[in-house]
Amino acid sequence: MTINPGGGTVRSVRVVIVDDHTIFRSGLKADLDSRMDVVGEAGTVEQAIAVIAETRPEVVLLDVHLPGGLGGGGREVIAGSAALLGGTSFLALSVSDAAEDVVSVIRAGARGYVTKTISGKEISDAVIRVADGDAVFSPRLAGFVLDAFGTAPADIADDELDKLSARELEVMRLIARGYSYKEVGKELFISIKTVETHVSAVLRKLQLSSRHELTKWAAERRLL
Amino acid sequence: MPDSGSGNPDPCLDWYMTTVVERPPLVRSSDRMIAGVCSGLADHLGWPVKFVRLGMVLACLAGGAGVAFYAWLWTMVPTADENAKRNARRPASPIAPAVSLPPVPATGVGMARPQQTFDAGPSPAVTTGPAALGGSAAGSVGSGPGASGTWVSGTGTEAAQAQGFGTATGDAWWDGRALGSWFSFRKIQYGKEILLGAALLLVAAILIARQFGVDVPLGTLIPAAAILGGAAIAWMQLDETRRAGLVDKTKADQAGGWVRLAAGLALVVAGVLVMVSGSGSWEQTWLALLASVAVLGGVALVLLPWGLKFWKDLETERAGRVRETERAEIAAHLHDSVLQTLALIQRRAGSEQDVVRLARAQERELRAWLFSDPAKESGLLAERIKAVAAEVEDAHGHAVEVVTVGDSTMTDRHEALVQAAREAMLNAARHGGGTVSVYLESADGSTEIFIKDRGPGFALDAIPDDRLGVKESIIGRMKRHGGTAVINSSSDGTEVRLALPSANPEAGESRTSEVRNSEARNSEALNGETKQ
Repeated sequence: MTINPGGGTVRSVRVVIVDDHTIFRSGLKADLDSRMDVVGEAGTVEQAIAVIAETRPEVVLLDVHLPGGLGGGGREVIAGSAALLGGTSFLALSVSDAAEDVVSVIRAGARGYVTKTISGKEISDAVIRVADGDAVFSPRLAGFVLDAFGTAPADIADDELDKLSARELEVMRLIARGYSYKEVGKELFISIKTVETHVSAVLRKLQLSSRHELTKWAAERRLL
Repeated sequence: MPDSGSGNPDPCLDWYMTTVVERPPLVRSSDRMIAGVCSGLADHLGWPVKFVRLGMVLACLAGGAGVAFYAWLWTMVPTADENAKRNARRPASPIAPAVSLPPVPATGVGMARPQQTFDAGPSPAVTTGPAALGGSAAGSVGSGPGASGTWVSGTGTEAAQAQGFGTATGDAWWDGRALGSWFSFRKIQYGKEILLGAALLLVAAILIARQFGVDVPLGTLIPAAAILGGAAIAWMQLDETRRAGLVDKTKADQAGGWVRLAAGLALVVAGVLVMVSGSGSWEQTWLALLASVAVLGGVALVLLPWGLKFWKDLETERAGRVRETERAEIAAHLHDSVLQTLALIQRRAGSEQDVVRLARAQERELRAWLFSDPAKESGLLAERIKAVAAEVEDAHGHAVEVVTVGDSTMTDRHEALVQAAREAMLNAARHGGGTVSVYLESADGSTEIFIKDRGPGFALDAIPDDRLGVKESIIGRMKRHGGTAVINSSSDGTEVRLALPSANPEAGESRTSEVRNSEARNSEALNGETKQ
């Protein structure tokens, strides 16, 4: 953890907010706590790509639906900032719970997804988590993952991209049940760091897997 | 691995964003002499309109090549208006255009998706230009002997086009498979146009070579190309999904499937030929066949542009009507629901709880309307749970978030499960704090529901016997229907876990052992509770 919320040397995370609703942007800005420093805002795809390239933030809070560009919304912003993905993480924000919105932006490279109704503290925590290179899963995203990958565990190989390991399944289930990472760790007798490792692994699989079932699932929901 | 997912960003995106966007898309201009082809082309190429028009007229003198070129562009290139409509993205939600899209400019500059027009537009225009020119020039100069010359040139051009289509689709498909990993679909589309042009150029080269006396076995090439082209065109009628469906249905993807299909076709064709030729000599049959094909080809050649045009108009009109209906429906719905709720919220602005409750209820209603699939079967378990959650939310003003994985049809046992879940949600909303999380997982006929709140928790022992809520409505009800109920409560919150195994014990066995293990601890707790 590079963050020390209790005081001492508090690093402030450089954040860019990308959303086409000005009111929501200012509300979100007010909600983010002192650990974050909003260095830029953008309302369209083109603006977002320009602002991100210019300010090089650590975290981009990215609305899934954005006007401008080629109509790809948040996905397009991530693709357009591909060169910066090493230093910049994307956290998707959306009012939409639709699977196609959520999963497509994750597969484009976002490190997490939260709904816009989330509280100020929760979103601040999520930003910190993404800035530290971890993934942020909401219960609903965990539900999508379970739906897409199926609820049967992989046999042996944990590295396999197309299935979740038994442990990853357990973690996803608990997150879907509304457990926080801390509660998941307590429930499974593992550390938060281990929970984060599992979640990151699931995120990687979700992004990279081309598994037949996943493709079919996506096609049914008009993702591809 | 913070950017492990970034391996698949679109390499073309940067490319066309930086280099191509400046060039206006190829569309038929509204500043027109005949159909706006020349001025559109001039806009796109950045040449003066005068020169383009002059060039077109000169090309018309070269054996009518200009006419063919013009007609081709007329049918294939959309007007600025059509283009804008076609490229307007399909909104991710029905209300998205109203809230997030700026009005699409009608001029065709700064279009929502310039790359498509660029890909689809210029390549046929530029590449087919010389090909059509070469092809018709060669044909009209008269490679065919005497009176049949016109027929030869007619079928020649047709075959040329047919072959062009055939090669293009075939190779683009191959492209898609081989290069799909690093080429985006846009790139493949572009490649298809290039291939089409290349094929037409090849045909033109063959025809020119014939002019110079090189012996090209046209007698075998043309029929082969016609057959390939015909098949390709027929396949192009089907869109991607239907094609896959057809292949699936005919089992053509299995080994031997194609062989069976081809053998069947060959037999049918041969049979028809034999039947027809029974009445006369082979010589006559061939002649008659050739003549009829030639006549049909000629008619098709003449009518094709009109047919295409008509079809396109029809499509445009139909799409417009559908959009109009959708818009009216959205407006009506927004008026009935959202505006009314906003009015209510203004009147109740004093009571925070009322406002939250109204906003939540309206959000839920709008969400259901926007995102739910009307074709989806109703009366399933997930739907019921969501309805119950909504009811609890309305009654108590606490957010109830429902996540579902899998689904199953409702039975009497499931109804009991829903009632138990409802009771648990009510308890959570009444006594717990914050958001109530509900998770439903249904697989292989067995179902689990978890209801979690973040309240102060309670001890089951401390509940007086006359309070039936937990003991009777949840635990007792689940037991009577062959299920289990576990309640884990701590100071961090309470979680109720309801499990209903499959009615058919064999199906239940297929549940993975991993799940059982993770639940073993919980069921111990259950035994402790139900004994009381």
